[in-house]
Amino acid sequence: MAGCGYFNFMDNLIFELNQVYFSYLGRYPALCGVDIRISSGEKICIIGANGAGKSTFLQLLDALIFADKGSVCFRGKELNEKIFTDAKFSQEFRRQVGFIFQNSEVQLFCPTVKEDIVFGPLNLGFEKGLIQKRLEMLIAALNIEDLLERSPHQLSIGEKRKVAIASTLIIDPQVLILDEPTAGLDPLVTRNIIDLLIQANAEGKTIITATHDLHIVEEIADTVYVFGRQKKIVKSGPAETILTDTQLLQENNLVHIHRHKHKDKVHIHPHLHLDHHGEDA
Amino acid sequence: MKANNFIERSIVGTLAFLREAIFSQEIALQNGFLQSLDPRVKITGFLLLLLKTLIACDLHTLFFLYGICLLLVLISKVGPGFFLLRTWVFIPLFSLCIGLPALFGPGDPLWSGYFLGIKLVISSQGLFGALIFVMRVLTCVSFVVLLNITTRHFELLKVLRIFKVPQIFVMTLGMSYRYIFLFIEIIQNTYLGIKSRVGSVICYRPGQRLVAWNIVSLWNYSLLLNQEVYKAMLSRGYRGEDLAWSDFRARGRDLGWLAAVILILWII
Repeated sequence: MAGCGYFNFMDNLIFELNQVYFSYLGRYPALCGVDIRISSGEKICIIGANGAGKSTFLQLLDALIFADKGSVCFRGKELNEKIFTDAKFSQEFRRQVGFIFQNSEVQLFCPTVKEDIVFGPLNLGFEKGLIQKRLEMLIAALNIEDLLERSPHQLSIGEKRKVAIASTLIIDPQVLILDEPTAGLDPLVTRNIIDLLIQANAEGKTIITATHDLHIVEEIADTVYVFGRQKKIVKSGPAETILTDTQLLQENNLVHIHRHKHKDKVHIHPHLHLDHHGEDA
Repeated sequence: MKANNFIERSIVGTLAFLREAIFSQEIALQNGFLQSLDPRVKITGFLLLLLKTLIACDLHTLFFLYGICLLLVLISKVGPGFFLLRTWVFIPLFSLCIGLPALFGPGDPLWSGYFLGIKLVISSQGLFGALIFVMRVLTCVSFVVLLNITTRHFELLKVLRIFKVPQIFVMTLGMSYRYIFLFIEIIQNTYLGIKSRVGSVICYRPGQRLVAWNIVSLWNYSLLLNQEVYKAMLSRGYRGEDLAWSDFRARGRDLGWLAAVILILWII
């Protein structure tokens, strides 16, 4: 693999962040002292209220922005603006880390779906034969053959999300970063995406997902990190531990008090979207 | 809708026109002659026809070229009425206005008369010059419009990239097209949002203020979108290089088209 000399593949550690701070325009803090270590093949989930810094954190991991203070290392190499002036390093990093944006609109900028999907591998110097092979595989996996010659703006939200995912998966990155992958999608498309992530993880890929959708967390994460109002990680642990810590979730605006009626009986309890009906049935 | 609601009529009318003019691909998807050609060969043929139109100084040649254009319209299943309206409305009519003073230029008098006490003389050279000018503009516009409506937008952009037009130019064109659509939706939704809060009638002055706010918020949104799109491009390895995925296939019919164009241009 060209450019592999840049990274340390002996160590299982992929990302290491030490005391990372980031602010927008130097005035609006978005991350205040984040420490995290992510190993190869892990599937982790970032949860937190709006404005807790989840998207900023993911963009730092994909080196789209750089830390004001602290260090972000990928396979032992510190990520900063200077190192990305080296075209080979940049290419190698982008081949290994794929990012799926929260807003699919920004990710689809080519005239057709097909061009959008092949944009990444073309820019990363993949051979045309390989691109064609992966394209055919993804078309079958995501059932998007009918969309290929269409313009992205003519697609529904679910279709756009599928295409955005295909445009990243075709690069076959070792690390997949997803920002709210199921937001606004119907249950079937949500299910398809979850299955895709589980399969990617089973193939050895590292999956890093930020989501509000607590009912998918257990399936797509072994470890969950909670970002708090302090704009740093306030707690981390196995998904089942975090999701049953109602007080933690309530403190971080991840659940709310919910009042509803079953026949003639009124229930008031935290709304978790986690089989809550089963408890009172 | 109130008849005097200028703002609403302008917004709704402009958006409807943009949708119809820019995003309708109905004709490009028809099963006509031009639609069946390989876009690379089709565009090459059109470029040759345009070049000939631009250098032609003979009125008969221009009429002949315009005739070819109309023939292509008919065999490509484009409605002649729609095509003539589309090609005659703006640029040729403007060029007619621009060419009008040339009628009264120096030369052999063809007709003379008085208008508001001023003697006007139309010269044969002036009339010929004005006709050449209008016919040239009309033929060029007709060819360009015909090419545009019978070719899908992305194919045009792809061909530009295959022809080595700088990536930044093609990308800007493509993204403008893409985001004009997005902005049309935003403008429409913003307008509906305003309407739902202030009622069905927006008076002229507050309406102007609302439009100004809309422009500001759209500007901010476009800046934000610009940054996000750039990040999305970077994330997939974009480094400003000219890379295109071409899967066009030229067949016998395409070569026939090119040969016919060259032959016609050779004869005239």
